[in-house]
Amino acid sequence: MSRSIRNTSLLSLAVAGMLAGGLTYAGAQTALSGDQIVQTMGSAARAAPPGLSAALIRQAVQQHMIDNPGMPITWKPLQLLDNLAQINVQIQFALNSAIIRPESYSTIGSIADALHHPILGGYKFVITGNTDTTGNRKDNLALSQARADAVVEALTTTFSVDPARVEAVGLGEEALEDVKNPKNPINRRVQLINIGKYLPGK
Amino acid sequence: MRSTKISLAAILTMAFLAPSTAQTISYSEAGALLAKSCGKDIEKYCPKVNLGGGALKDCLMERAAQISPQCIADYKTVVASLNARLAAQAAVTKACQGDATQFCQGTAPGNAHYLNCLNAAKKVVSKRCTTAITNAGWN
Repeated sequence: MSRSIRNTSLLSLAVAGMLAGGLTYAGAQTALSGDQIVQTMGSAARAAPPGLSAALIRQAVQQHMIDNPGMPITWKPLQLLDNLAQINVQIQFALNSAIIRPESYSTIGSIADALHHPILGGYKFVITGNTDTTGNRKDNLALSQARADAVVEALTTTFSVDPARVEAVGLGEEALEDVKNPKNPINRRVQLINIGKYLPGK
Repeated sequence: MRSTKISLAAILTMAFLAPSTAQTISYSEAGALLAKSCGKDIEKYCPKVNLGGGALKDCLMERAAQISPQCIADYKTVVASLNARLAAQAAVTKACQGDATQFCQGTAPGNAHYLNCLNAAKKVVSKRCTTAITNAGWN
């Protein structure tokens, strides 16, 4: 049940429940609402450290790959983002591509609803892409970046989110959700992460 | 410019006709409607284009003859409604300035405090302001 949320505060669990409901996409309508995202993402208790940026996260991913050669089971997953306000979102992509399937348009819309809300207006966000460990590690990093890019492009064009407030970061297979089962499909996910105050012009 | 004019006109019409219910749909509802009306056509005729960046729109327009009329119609509805919602969001500050001064004195700026105050006071807040907030999707 807590699979959709890394941190287990009561609020997160409530949202996780909603997310799980949203995953039954037979009716295209998602139960994940912008309001729930707003509440989770605005949590001041999990404020990002000053100076955190998409570029820093990308660097940390590169360093993680250098520091952790070998098999995934021996890695300590990237923990840089663990304590930040975040939600996991399942977005359906076409196989081995960054094409977002229509059934996930509504989920991306929910993220847009949240990012358009004044409560989150003062914050910057990162959209991450994550794969499981099936396939080549470097290819997975590239695919996850392309998928995160596709989500950010949809948010900033079709859904008019300010491009200065959201950036895409591919995490590849470096930040597994289920470390013990690195091929668990649960690991394939997109995250919305609050990376701190948005200061225009900086 | 042209689309701005249209959406402003749309909002004015909406404000006149039905001030209490939202005349715009949320981004999530927009995504769901696109998927429902266009999903099959997208997977059949535009399987290699993405939602963002205008690619999907271009593909659907190029193949308009094959695309279902419902999809074309709903696509236009979605675009118009999202434009209207964006315009409403931009209009809230101005539409609610008088009400904020009158009913929300002493409110600290930031973190949507004014919005919370205006929503809490909606029984006395002007129709113009509540309509803007509703169409912005912020109530």
